This record gives sequence, structure tokens and C-alpha cells, in this order.
Amino acid sequence: MSGLAFLSPGRASAEAVWCSPLARALEGAPPDVGDLSQTGKIEIRGDLPKSVKGGELNRITPNRGLVLCDFGKTVELLEKLSQDYFAVDVTATLAGLSVRGEQLMRRITDLDLDALPAAGAVSHIQALVTRDGDSFALWFGQEYSDYLAEVVIDAWEGLRE
Amino acid sequence: MRLPARPGERLNRDREVTFTYDGNAVRAFEGDTIGSALYASGQRIFSRSFKYHRPRGLLCCSGSCPNCMMTVDGVPNVRVCAEPVRENAVVRPQNVWGSLERDALVVTDKLGGPFTPVGFYYRTMIRPRWAWPLYEKFLRSVAGLGKLDKHGTRANRYDVEHRRARVLVIGGGRAGREAAQQHAVAGMQVVLVDEGFVDPLEGVEVVAPGRALGIWEGGLVPVDAGRVLYRFRAEKIVVATGTIEQPLVFPGNDLVGVMLPDGVRRLIEDWGIKPAEKAVVVTVDEAGREAAASLREAGVEIAGVYDLRRERVREIVARGRGGVLRSVEVDGRKLSCDLLVMSGGRQPAYSLLSQAGARVEYDPGRGVFIPTDIPEGIEAVGSVAGEGLAGAVPAASYNGASGKGKCFVCVCEDVTDKDLKRAIAEGFDSIELAKRYTTVTMGPCQGRLCHVPSIRLYARENEKDEATIGTTTARPPWAPVTLGLLAGRPHEPAQRTAIHHRHKELGAKMMWTGTWRRPHSYGDPEGEAQSVHASVGVIDVSTLGKMIVRGPDSAQFLERLYPNRFGDMKPMRIRYGVLNSDAGRIMDDGTIARLDDETFYVTTTSTGAGAVLEWFEWWNAVWGMDVEIVNVTGGLAAVNVAGPRAREVMRKLTDIDLSNEGLAYLDAREAQIAGVPSLILRIGFVGELGYELHFPSPYGEHVWNEILDAGEEFGIRPFGLEPQRILRLEKMHILVGQDTDSESNVLEANMPWIAKLDKDDFVGKWSLEQVQERGLQDLLVGFEMEDGKVPLEGAQVVLEGTRPIGRITSSRWSPELRKAIGMAWVPAAIAEEGKSFLVTVDGGFERATVRLRPFFDPDGEKLRS
Repeated sequence: MSGLAFLSPGRASAEAVWCSPLARALEGAPPDVGDLSQTGKIEIRGDLPKSVKGGELNRITPNRGLVLCDFGKTVELLEKLSQDYFAVDVTATLAGLSVRGEQLMRRITDLDLDALPAAGAVSHIQALVTRDGDSFALWFGQEYSDYLAEVVIDAWEGLRE
Repeated sequence: MRLPARPGERLNRDREVTFTYDGNAVRAFEGDTIGSALYASGQRIFSRSFKYHRPRGLLCCSGSCPNCMMTVDGVPNVRVCAEPVRENAVVRPQNVWGSLERDALVVTDKLGGPFTPVGFYYRTMIRPRWAWPLYEKFLRSVAGLGKLDKHGTRANRYDVEHRRARVLVIGGGRAGREAAQQHAVAGMQVVLVDEGFVDPLEGVEVVAPGRALGIWEGGLVPVDAGRVLYRFRAEKIVVATGTIEQPLVFPGNDLVGVMLPDGVRRLIEDWGIKPAEKAVVVTVDEAGREAAASLREAGVEIAGVYDLRRERVREIVARGRGGVLRSVEVDGRKLSCDLLVMSGGRQPAYSLLSQAGARVEYDPGRGVFIPTDIPEGIEAVGSVAGEGLAGAVPAASYNGASGKGKCFVCVCEDVTDKDLKRAIAEGFDSIELAKRYTTVTMGPCQGRLCHVPSIRLYARENEKDEATIGTTTARPPWAPVTLGLLAGRPHEPAQRTAIHHRHKELGAKMMWTGTWRRPHSYGDPEGEAQSVHASVGVIDVSTLGKMIVRGPDSAQFLERLYPNRFGDMKPMRIRYGVLNSDAGRIMDDGTIARLDDETFYVTTTSTGAGAVLEWFEWWNAVWGMDVEIVNVTGGLAAVNVAGPRAREVMRKLTDIDLSNEGLAYLDAREAQIAGVPSLILRIGFVGELGYELHFPSPYGEHVWNEILDAGEEFGIRPFGLEPQRILRLEKMHILVGQDTDSESNVLEANMPWIAKLDKDDFVGKWSLEQVQERGLQDLLVGFEMEDGKVPLEGAQVVLEGTRPIGRITSSRWSPELRKAIGMAWVPAAIAEEGKSFLVTVDGGFERATVRLRPFFDPDGEKLRS
């Protein structure tokens, strides 16, 4: 069976140059906004476990979850998870943006920030949002990277006007 | 004139603020509004009315009425009575020809009355028809309030903020504050919103000034806080919006100097201003008496107080000069004054409750409309619920047809009692019809000051009670809101490929395809197309929809969805597929590669990806098959390396066997390209030997750069969408949505080979069988122009005698073939090789010849080379 290797950036050789979808958009960005894109991401489907060893499981639906892990260990974890679940490497599919500050988040999403992680609209696009104290992580389709970075930086500037 | 500082005033007299009004500097104190500062400086006329251009002055001082609307810093229709002063603000009057004091358009008040009765715009200026452009030009120049600068940029920054509240209290009066405090003491998170100025409350977040615009499902309450629109989601909403002071209706009730009690109170108590020298008070409640007491305290002489609860007054007439109040006649007794305080009672401000679903009932005992049946999760407290309103007497209307002046029911739209009576006489006897016909309640105050008076007048004239007349429907926004605030920030959710920035660096001219940004070309569309034929080119096709379909039932699933077969495909082979709707119409197309027995890789059109994904998921749910569908559109970048030298370029990037034996036409292979794991599809949309490479998007720029480096010795050029469209047309490859529409089917789109009608079933099969049974009517064919002129896409195909019989869907000049070519829908009778038809070009007709086989490489030898 095809291992769908062409979906896994972690299988690239060392000479291949990774370019984050947010690289250009975040040039000169404020310190409250950062790039998390080079994080390993695996979507698993089925009867989800309570936790995943070596990764952080975020439940999107009762039988669909997103596992975040160290980029260098993605392939190894994918192979392990594939033994029990339908698992797909979505590292390249999702960009990751870190945002610090609750008010800044309120400027871009209607999601209940006290009930994260949750998936929903962030400035008109779909994203999974996780939280750690006053720091938030947005996981969204990488093709919207320039757009969302522009929105977040603009909102950040708006709070300082 | 300013009064001495007093406790509770809003001013910080230690801090001055200066702004300009009509070019002149105005000094104010911090805490003033622009309106209060102007009033203190002696300004009395604040605006000209909408229709008659009558002078208007401060009336409510609470941002409810239209009387003080001016242009502030370029923003029209700002109610300056509620707009805080700010340093260097530029304030100008609006809606005048000349100045506020001398407005030439006041002629409509003096002479225009007979020509501009209610509803005149529905029945005048109709004839002569040729004159309408002149009427229109004139009307547009005088109509409307304020002027927008058509070439202006955004005057202000507006943001949206999403908030949550356990309890949201709307209204910061006594009842609202008590409710907020009670909930806060109970440990709840409470936010209080008020239109005006509210003192801080312990344990309560106060948003003021802030206007709640409406109440929607799910406890959504947008609040206009000036530069920020707060979108509150509240678990509980407490409405404490209080009441709205109602005016009295009598001749001259709109003169400058006629005010509502609360407006007078604010001038004195909030901004320390002596409102006038001599005042008369006419009231139906205590508010007028309280205003009289405040005025006396401020040193204003009271010429008379008429409490209509205690005395019967037959006639009130306000008289003025130049639109400014000079005297009041009460039952013939003339009283000189420069201020008339009128109080027509208080009406609960129930609009937000009504929008939320509450019923509104008339209470004849109190003469007001009271909200009832308040929806769950919402509570009404204070006077909005009718508390403390006992004893008010409904205000009578005083006849304006007495020849003693206009008697305004609606000051926003300049609607008089005479207008409403005329509307009733014309048959508009329901209040909802009156609203639409006369525009009463449709102006900037949205009925705050005219709703109840118009209902009362309708009741009296129709000899019915107010309950029978009823109310008009309350709709959001409850308060006027700037379009900028609703629009928010100017961001466009565009999709960009992983190679987007490289395209821009290479000078690409970008264009929209759906929500994607794509290179139209790099400046030389024809040259880029020719490069593909002559040597090799590369195009970014990352926008293609891409899906993994995996599971034991995946082949059967695709068999049911597509009209052609997939069960017989060998692993690592590719097949073209056209997706049909239930009605057998073409939805989308793309390629399907079988990666192994249970895994397929499906591509779709760029703009169809979302719809196809939904379509797949819908049918998977319906059929309950053992299939998983994963959208990998954004995760994979894709480029197409095409041209006779494409293989040589590819050999520099990968170790796999690229010979025709190793990787034949319509073969797929997983391999490393420039060190990046990739899926190679040997397909050729542009008609030459081609390799479509799909690989993780973060390596988009890396692979793109490596391809350009590898192809440099062969003269590789990147090409955009426009050259691609030339090349695909040469091959007669269709573009779904361009060459097809919602009625097109594969049989008539000249692809009968794709429909395997002998399959058990597939989506759209029955419909295609019906098409086959009725016979083909219009067919999609290729054509070439005899004279070389390129017709417009969408141009008509005509038969001799100029009868339209079809349309052009695609047309281009082919630099390779040196011909104008295209595709068109034509009747089956002429869809034969070599037949001809006429096409409209530049207003004339040109002859085209039907071609049924690809213009370029008709046998596909280059594709298979």
C-alpha cells in the first residue's frame, strides 16, 4: 500500500530547502506574533485515544483529531499511528501562527477563548485554535498564510493606535 | 453662555480643546461635545432639514434626532450633540446651498409646498420622459444628507472585537445600573453598555459611549463604540433602555429653540450652559416641570408653564423669524421667548426587545406601548418595561392646517400632519403603508421621535384606537451606524500558492481565479506559450483541488461517482474523469491516479475543489462506504514541466527511469524530485510531453527554483494562466465552467467515450440515458476562423440569415498554428468536420469552420513521445 510519502515534508532530504508559508508575511512582525508552521501535524481518524505518546492530541470531532508533534519525529509517529488509525501527514497542509494576547485574539475570532481548543472561523477562514495561558496557536490552511498574517499584524497595530 | 462650575458636570474646565467650525476656531472644554461647545459659543442653527431646508437647532441633545447632523473630519451625518470634542477637528455644516444661516434651498419651504406633497416622487417628473435626466441630475444634487467624497480614502480606522459576557446590560440609567450591580454582586461577569456617559461601577465593565445596534439569535449584540464594533455574545441580556421623550405636534414645533426637557437638562447639568434667556414650558408629564425648575436655577426667566394634565389648551403655535423661535401663542396668548420646552410624554424604548421577539402592546391607561412576552434569556427592567410611567396623558396633535405654520410629525423626513392626513385620504390607512408611502419613521431617528406621534395621528384620523393601529416592525440597527464600522478592515481572504512570492519576483502579472491569486503571465503570453512548444516551460498548478480517496471501497466509490470506469485501473495509472451532477450535467473534471488497490489520488479544477470535496463527502455519507476522503489541496504544491525537452530537465532532478518504458503517458510514480518526496503524473493538459509534480508545499519554492536552474540550458520559461489557455485550446481540452455551463452534459460536450452507460449505475446515468434517447441537440465543437479574426468569448454563432444558433465559449489566437481558433456550442446538424457557420465579430459576421479533432497534435504523438 502507498505510504503517501509525497505528503510528508519530513521525508525530504537535507538538501531540500524548507520555506515556511509564513516566512515572508512575518518579516518584521511584532514579537506577539510568531511562526509555528514547522511543527509536525498528523490527522487521525477512528476511535480516538485519550492521548498520543510523543504528540499532543487535539480533538476536532469525536472521531477526528489533530496530533501536533516535533517536526523531526513526524514520520516515525505517523507510521506508528497508522497501525491503529487512519492517519495522514498534514504537516504541509496547515500553517501555524502563534499569537500572544487575549484582546488581539478577540479582534480576529468569535470563538470562545475560554473553551479552547476549538475549530472555527478566524477572520473568515477555518482554523483550529489552541491556548496556553495568554498564548494562542492558530492552525489553518497554509494557502491563507499571507492573508491571516496580514490580518493579525493589522489587528495588533490597531490595538496600539 | 457658560454657567459657573457645578457638581456633576461633565467638563474639565482646566483643559481646553480647540476645533474649527466652518473655518472658525471654537474653544471648548474637555468633556464637551461638539454640539455643546457650539451652543456655548452662540451657535443656534445646527442643520437644515431634509426636504424643506428649514433651520433646525438642538432638540434632544442625546443623539436621537437629526437636528445636529454635521460633517466632522470628512465624515457626514455626525450628530455633534453626542460627538465628543477633539483637538483640531474640522466641523462643517452640510445639506446647504450657501450657509446654515442663509440656505438658498429654503425656497422649497417657501414655494415648493404645492409641488412637493407627500409621495410626490412617485407621480411627478414623469413627463416628458426625455426630461428625466435633467430632473434626476437636479434631484441628486439636492437630495440626501451630507456628501461623501467619492475619491476619499478611509477617514478612520474601524475594528471589530468579539466579546463574551455572562450578563450584558444595555442602558446605564438607574435601573440598568442596579441590575448590573445585582448581577456583579452575585459573582457574574457583567458588562454595561450605554449611549452616553456613565460613571464607573464596581465589578462591572462599562462600555460607554456604546450603542447596542440589535439583538440577534444566540445572544449576539453588536455594540457601536465609535471606532470599534463589539460583537457581544451574552448568556443573559438585560435591557434597560429606558424611555424616549416624545415631542408635541403643533405649528412651528420644529423652530430653532424648541427643545425636549432632557436636552435642556443636559445643557445645564452636563455642560454648564445657560440655554436661553426666557422660556415657555408645555408638558404632559413631570419632565417639563423638572426642566422648568432647572431653567429657573440656571437664571432663565420662565414666561409660562402649561401642564396639559391640568389645563385644557386648544391651540399652541410657535412663531419665529428666520426659523428661530421668537414667541409662543397658547390659546391666543402671546409669550415672547427664545426657548420652548415641549414634553409629549415618554415612550418605552422597546425596539431592541421587539427585534429580539417580544410583543408590543398598547397600554391605554398610560398612553404608551409596552413590551410583553420577553424572550427567554432577556430581561427588561426599569421604565422600558413600563415602570414609573403611570399617569401620563397622551399628547394631542394640534392642527397644522390652521394656516399658522407647518406642524411636523417627523422632523427627519419633514413629514407634517397634513402629509399623513393626505396619505390616509389616498388610501394608505395602515401604519406600515404610511411608513413606506410618506417615509415617516424611516429617517435618521428611525422612529424614536415620530413613531408614537404618527400612530396617534393615524388613530385619531381613522377613528380607531392606538392598539388597533399598532406599531411598525422594529428592525436593526436600532441606532445609525457608519458603513466603515460595519465594513471593518479591508482584508481579502485570498489563497496563495507556496510559490506565489517567486512569481512576483519573476515579474508575474497576477490575477484572480476564484479566491486564488495566480500568474496571468510573466509579461509575454504568446512567447511563453511558444516556449512550451519549442523547448520547455513550467507552470504553477498548485491551485488544483487534490484529494486522497482511500479504503477498501474506494474503487467502487469512484465508479459510482464518475461516468467512466476505475475498478479496472492498474496501480500507478491515471485516468481523466468528468464529474456529473444527479441531472447528468458536468460539474467538474480532473485526473484520477490509482496509487494502490485501495488508494486513489484525485485532482479537480482550481475553483471546483470545495464543491467536489463536499460532493464526495455527501455521497460517502449517503452510501456508507468504507472510504476515507482527505483534502490535501493546500498541503501539496504542484508544477507542470512541459515541452519537448521536459524529460531532459526532469532527468537532472530525479534518478527514476523517465523513458517511455519507465514512465509512459498516463503513468504515475512516487519519487524524490530535487530531494523532495513527490508524486509524478505524466499527463499533458498543454499538449506537449509533460510531467505534473505534486509535493509538500513548504518545498514549493525549492522545487520551482531547482526546475528553473535545471532547465536554464534549455531556455526554460515560466508560463502563466493565459499561455496555458492558448495551449489547452490548441489541444481542444475543455475548461469546465468556461466551455460548459449548468446545462452541459458529456454526450453533447463531445466526450461520449467517457460515459460508460453499460455500468450498473453512476450519478447522472439516468439523465444521460434520457439525453441519448432524445438525441443530441447542441454540441461542443472546435472551430477556426477563415479570416484570422478572433471573436469575443460569448459571441453569437449565427446561421445564414443572422438567426443566433449558438455561442463561442473560448477563442484565442494561436501563435503556433498562426490561426484564430476556439470552441463553440452549435446545433448538432452543423457539428461536422468542415461545416461552417458565421460568428459575430466587430459588429459584422465572419465565417468559421468546424473542427472536431484537436488543432494541435491531433493524434497525441507529442504527448506520448
